[in-house]
Formats: sequence, C-alpha cells, structure tokens
Amino acid sequence: MKINILGTATTKFGELWDTSPRELAREAMANALKASGLRASQIDALFVGNMLSGILGNQTNLASLIAEELGSTSQVPAFRIEGACASGGLALHNAINSLNAGKYKTVLVIGVEKMTDHSQEEITSALSAAGSDEERMSGLTFPGIYALMAKAYMQEYNVSEEALAAVSVKNHYHGSFNPKAQFQSLITIGDVMRSAKVADPLKLLDCSPVSDGASAVVITSDVSIKHKNPVSIIASEVATDTLGLYNRKSFTSLSAVVTACQKAYAATGLKPTDIDVAEIHDCFSISEAIAVEDLGFAKRGEGARDIENGKMTLFKGKIITNPSGGLKACGHPVGATGIKQIVEITEHLRGTAGKRQVKGAKIGLTHNVGGSGAVAAIHILKGSTI
Amino acid sequence: MKTSPVKLWRRQKDTISVLGKTGKILLWTIIRVPAKSFVDQAPYPVVIVKMDGGQKMVGQLVDFTKENLVVGQKVQAVLRRLKTEGNEDAIYYHVKFKPL
Repeated sequence: MKINILGTATTKFGELWDTSPRELAREAMANALKASGLRASQIDALFVGNMLSGILGNQTNLASLIAEELGSTSQVPAFRIEGACASGGLALHNAINSLNAGKYKTVLVIGVEKMTDHSQEEITSALSAAGSDEERMSGLTFPGIYALMAKAYMQEYNVSEEALAAVSVKNHYHGSFNPKAQFQSLITIGDVMRSAKVADPLKLLDCSPVSDGASAVVITSDVSIKHKNPVSIIASEVATDTLGLYNRKSFTSLSAVVTACQKAYAATGLKPTDIDVAEIHDCFSISEAIAVEDLGFAKRGEGARDIENGKMTLFKGKIITNPSGGLKACGHPVGATGIKQIVEITEHLRGTAGKRQVKGAKIGLTHNVGGSGAVAAIHILKGSTI
Repeated sequence: MKTSPVKLWRRQKDTISVLGKTGKILLWTIIRVPAKSFVDQAPYPVVIVKMDGGQKMVGQLVDFTKENLVVGQKVQAVLRRLKTEGNEDAIYYHVKFKPL
C-alpha cells in the first residue's frame, strides 16, 4: 500500500518554560494539518508517541488529552505508544500498520515530550525507567550505559575521544542552519574535550540535552488526496533486543538496529549507498558512530573517523547524517524525536529545507532507538522526483 | 520511587546465589551525574564483569583504588547497602564488586 506524507510540522525544540505539553501538541498538530490542507475532521485516528508523561507529569491517559487539542468533533480514536526514546518511531510504525490493515486512511502522528520542568536528577531517574533492573540497581544511568559502549568502541578500534567529539561538532554545525534547533551555536573539539565529565569517557558536550518539543505528521493511504510535492514512506521496520546492555554479545553494535534496517533495505531493494540523507539517533556522540556502522554507511570501526573526516557533513559528505543538528544540537524531547526525524527528512526530499538543504536528496532514512538499543525503528522515505 | 519490600524479599535468593563469586572487569565507567537515589555516592565506578562461570554481570565497584580501574582486574561479588532510601523504606542490600 502506498503511504504518503501530507503535512508535517515541528515546534521549536528547547527549554520552553512558558509552554505546556498541551500547547506544544496543539501547535504541532494545527501546523501539520494546515500544511496538509486538511481539516481536523478528516483525521481518522491519532497516534501519540510519548515516554515520560506518566512518570514526570502524572498523566498516563495522554492520547485522550492530546485528542482534545486536535480540534475534531468526531471523537477520534487516539492511542499513546511508548517505547522509551523510540516512542515517536513506534507511534509512526503503528500508524502505518493501521493504514496497511485498511482500518484508517488518514491519520495524524504526533510525538511530544515536556522535560525541562524537572531537575537533572529527576530526569535521569525517569529516563532510567527505560533500562534493565540490573543496570538500574548498579547505579548506571543512560549516559553511563553509552559510556560503556564508548569504552568498548575506543578499545576495540583504537578510536580517540576527539574522534567521538567530532560527532557533536558536526551536529552543532548542522544545527546552526536550523531555526528550530535548541542549539544553533558552533562548538569545537576543544570545547567538547574541556566540558564536564558526565560518565567517563563521555562529557557534557557528547550528550544530547534535556528538551521540550512536539512534532507531527499527517500520513494517508487515500490516493485521492493529492499533494503537490509528495513524499512516500517505503519502509517501516521495528526490532527489539535485550533490555540491558551488559549481557549482550557485542557492546559496539546494536543488533535491533541491524535487524530493523536490514529488513527495511530488503523491503525496498535499496542499499546503504542509495541513502542520500539520514536522521540518526545520536543521543550520545558514540551512538552516531555506532549507528552509521550498523546502518552500513561506514565500515566497522570507521564510523567516528569518517564523521571526523567530514564524510557525513553538509555540503561536502556523500551520505549526510543529522542535517537537523540531530539529538545533540536540535534537541531531544524523547517522544518527539522519532517524528521530528520524519519531518526533517521530508523537508529534504521536498527540497524545502532551506539553508541546510541536502542537494538533490531523493531517498532518506530515519534511525530511532529506545533504551540502550532495546528497541529500534527504521523508516525509509522517498521523494517524488524519482 | 520507593522499592517495595516484597520485591526486595523476592530478589534475595538471586542475590545470595552470586555472593563470593569472582570474575574480571570487562568495561568500566565512572558515574558523575547519578539518578536521585545514588546522589550521595557520586562519583562512583560501575563495571561490567565477566564471571568465572562465563555469565556477565553489572554492578558498582567498591573499596577500590585508581589502579583497580582497569580491564582484566579480578573482582569478587559482595553484599552492600545499595542506595539512599526514604526515612521509612526498607533498607536495600544488593551485589556490588570489590577488587581482589
């Protein structure tokens, strides 16, 4: 079944102290509807990606809350989908399944997260709800788990901390072209190396920030709804792995990502080299280094060095990763991230990404990961120009 | 969040079964920004250990000096108070590792 993206929208990402989660959702949904040229009553169902509203906001019935803000009078079916930081990607996957099943034709998918109302310790505790019991009881945090991956990666492939730092430097450079990004400032390798340690060897500027934001897309299987510049979702795959990192075979690859992306490549007949632009789940610098290897964009052990050498940088690389600035610079409101990635790739495939446009982009990929690779959602999008 | 005393009781046999066992450090990190209930212990090291039986475990490293923070360091599973509880919570003991 052909699934087209109609309208997309994202709020500004950042520390939005004067904006409630309700307002974030309202803004993203209204703008996505407007961009689609549809009315709220034309939406058959609403899918909401969110992780923390229960733990931080004491609100678990989020789908109904968000449905109030859609402005529909048709008592729209609404579902909240949770898969840690992959909640957005999982919401989209479930929305696509509902279209493929023929139950709905046009649906709105929104990812939303409100994080900055809370202290650093509260956020760290809340996010660790996505981890395994064993890791939580060892005092590990998510930065700590990814720090262990960074250690393993640096040991196995003789990679320097500076090469990892280059991931953050690239993503801040990309963020400097994105008016919606939380950080639009340039940073240097030295800035990263001098920033405070969070969990050795990861430093503050290796880590994505705590953010507020919402992103929304309207997708349809109804071929009678035309868009002047359509983008299709040609693959949507999800895979899982053990909840904890510690008892896995490899600490330098996420097998959920490998499985999901191989299924997506197989479903479309595409190869990694066919991808022009990708949004990567760089919750930490090490995550992007490992991701570009798991996705087949770089050889094993070469991901960080390829990024350091500019092979994935705007205006000079071949496969551009994280033109939005990624989680590091654009921000990481966890439930919204997976949908923001779709919004960003759609802009590039439509040629409407402005200053950060990846020239001639035809095929794009999104890589959304939950926990320390316990769940991964991969989507492949295709523009209309081919 | 509070840990249910029933959950602690249920876990006892797993905890007891690994005490005294030994293994080697596979990976280590130092947590400097912890979750709320670990705040008064930070900074503290966490290690992934390959036990002599082959299985992997994860836990805090205690009673260590800087020299112990190396891959291959031999460690033993010991019982320690886990974290800071609320005033009326059950005190939680759990497996940590000490260098040998």
